[in-house]
Amino acid sequence: MARGIIRGFIILLSVCCIVSANSETINNDLVIKNVERSIDLQSQLTKIVNKLTVENTGKNPVKSLLFAIEQKHKDGLSYIAAQTRDTSRSALKISETKVQNHPDKLFYKIELKDALSPGRSLAIEVETVSSNELVPHPKEITQKEKQLVRYFGNVYFYSPYTVAKQTSVITLPSRNVENYTKFKPVVQSDSTITYGPYEKVAPFSVEDLILHFENNNKFLTIKKLERVIEISHWGNIAIEETIDLYHTGALLKGSFSRYEYARESKSGQSSVQNFNTILPAAASDVYYRDEIGNISTSHMRIRKDAVELNLRPRFPLFGGWKTHYVIGYNVPSYEYLFNSGDEYLLRMRLLDHVFDDMVVEELVTKIILPEGSHSVKLNAPYSVTRLPDTLHYTYLDTKGRPVITITKNNLVENHIQDFQLRYTFPRLLMLQEPLLVVIALYLLFLLVIVYVRLDFSINKDEVSESKLRIAGRCEKILAAQDRRVNSYNDLDDQLSELKANKNTNTFQAAVKSINQEYKTATNTISELSLKLKGESGDVYERIQELQKLDKALKELYNQQQALYFDKLIPGRIGRQPFVDAESVIIKKKEETVEKINSIVKSLQ
Amino acid sequence: MIEIESMTRYVSPINPAVFPHLAVVLLGIGIFFTAWFFVYEVTSTKFTRDIFKELLVSLVAAIFSGFGVLFLLLWVGIYV
Repeated sequence: MARGIIRGFIILLSVCCIVSANSETINNDLVIKNVERSIDLQSQLTKIVNKLTVENTGKNPVKSLLFAIEQKHKDGLSYIAAQTRDTSRSALKISETKVQNHPDKLFYKIELKDALSPGRSLAIEVETVSSNELVPHPKEITQKEKQLVRYFGNVYFYSPYTVAKQTSVITLPSRNVENYTKFKPVVQSDSTITYGPYEKVAPFSVEDLILHFENNNKFLTIKKLERVIEISHWGNIAIEETIDLYHTGALLKGSFSRYEYARESKSGQSSVQNFNTILPAAASDVYYRDEIGNISTSHMRIRKDAVELNLRPRFPLFGGWKTHYVIGYNVPSYEYLFNSGDEYLLRMRLLDHVFDDMVVEELVTKIILPEGSHSVKLNAPYSVTRLPDTLHYTYLDTKGRPVITITKNNLVENHIQDFQLRYTFPRLLMLQEPLLVVIALYLLFLLVIVYVRLDFSINKDEVSESKLRIAGRCEKILAAQDRRVNSYNDLDDQLSELKANKNTNTFQAAVKSINQEYKTATNTISELSLKLKGESGDVYERIQELQKLDKALKELYNQQQALYFDKLIPGRIGRQPFVDAESVIIKKKEETVEKINSIVKSLQ
Repeated sequence: MIEIESMTRYVSPINPAVFPHLAVVLLGIGIFFTAWFFVYEVTSTKFTRDIFKELLVSLVAAIFSGFGVLFLLLWVGIYV
């Protein structure tokens, strides 16, 4: 029993430790001396910049402070950032946290660079961007009506600390304000409404603020944005974004008249006809299409630091209407990909600009790495959900390319930030793609080689078979004969050289190899002719004739050589007798060659 | 881990500007050898065929055509 109590006590103690480690307490020593809040409601977003001056009235230095968000603004909050208001304007670390006794509110903890010592004060700036906080009222409007929206806020700055003095300036898109909470002191001038100054406001004070005003700006929400980044190590990064766009303003009541829309400038004020998308400056080969093909109503302007794309959907978008399209482009790899050996690092935007003041409900970014990449490490600029890795199959792939998938909900323009992705890719693997094509082609050729060797004939055609065989033999004999003719030509060259410079040594050296060539060719012919003997007596006879003539020709060459060696070089013959003797031999040679040629022709 | 500052910007081992030239030249050579191979296959009979010549010519044809096809793909924008 006693042991049980002790154990229970220990558990309780450890639970207390965990709770206190994870949750903060509100430090009442901190007082906010001044708050200047500016609320920008010009677009579909709520952009709030809070300029705070915080004073430490306690005795201990303070390291961090809390920033609270009301429960009703919790879901809409998309982006929050804090920075100092001195000249450096350096960003401060901000993270979500829990506070004791306030489980219903959302708290952020801002960590200060240096501890705030007692009696000192510090100026900081907290920026928040929220989506879906402007509610169309009325919910439905006709084509020619203007769009009115309502904003529900708080007259006071929502603070966990006492606020000594505060003012709020609300900026609206136009001076047409239907109604606003008149909580004195309040001043409206043109399109701004100023609340305050209010003094000595207790922590967590709420005074409802309702604004009802005209806002005809683009109420466009991207329900789903799928961004696919495909890396090719052949020097390209291909980006494709598939976008589901909804007009989330007041719904269109009644029918849509194209005639009215074109004729009257006041018609369809809240509709969206076109918008600008900013692409990176290096973007090329841009396409804009949907399920049925290219959407021709787009314009591309190349600026110095960006490519501006003016997109016009197939129809104007009214409240409740949606469209779906795909936009894609290429950028060179050197803009975003870095390497050191086989280590690669991709630094790119996780989300890119689609239109000004955009809202992305769901973002899915897929990064397709080259086949064979491994050891992937992702470094995201803000907290994201990484889905399980998948494989993607495209041209010349075997085992598939690794795909890194990242998702996040409720994003705005401030989320256009770079992520870093490290991976390892052995460079030699780039050769895999061309080698795949080479192997495929070679297999095709091998198939042809095998195919020509297949014989599907039922009965053997002996006659044509033997004809083919003889033709094949003849071809080989003729090839050998060609070689023999070449050897004669070489010999002729050598003889004429010998006649000119009378150098017997070089001649004999050259003739040796020529004769060798001649002998092998002659042997080939006689071997082949023996094989032919049984198949065709006629062809055999002709080859025998050819051999005989060739022997005679060779003899004539020998005579010519002997004439040069024995008579000409020693000088035992006069000019005239030599010329006569030579011309006799040459004439005989020509006659023999003619006969040989006629036989060769008959064999072809 | 290597920092981004010490890394170099990654460029393709082959300048994309020469993809068209490479595609044309390699495919030209490849088609020449392919044509030679097929002409040889249809004109030779089973008594005159030489297996080594066939294998050699088709290998050369496959290598040149294979690399040619790759650069053709890259040229037309299919970045494999």
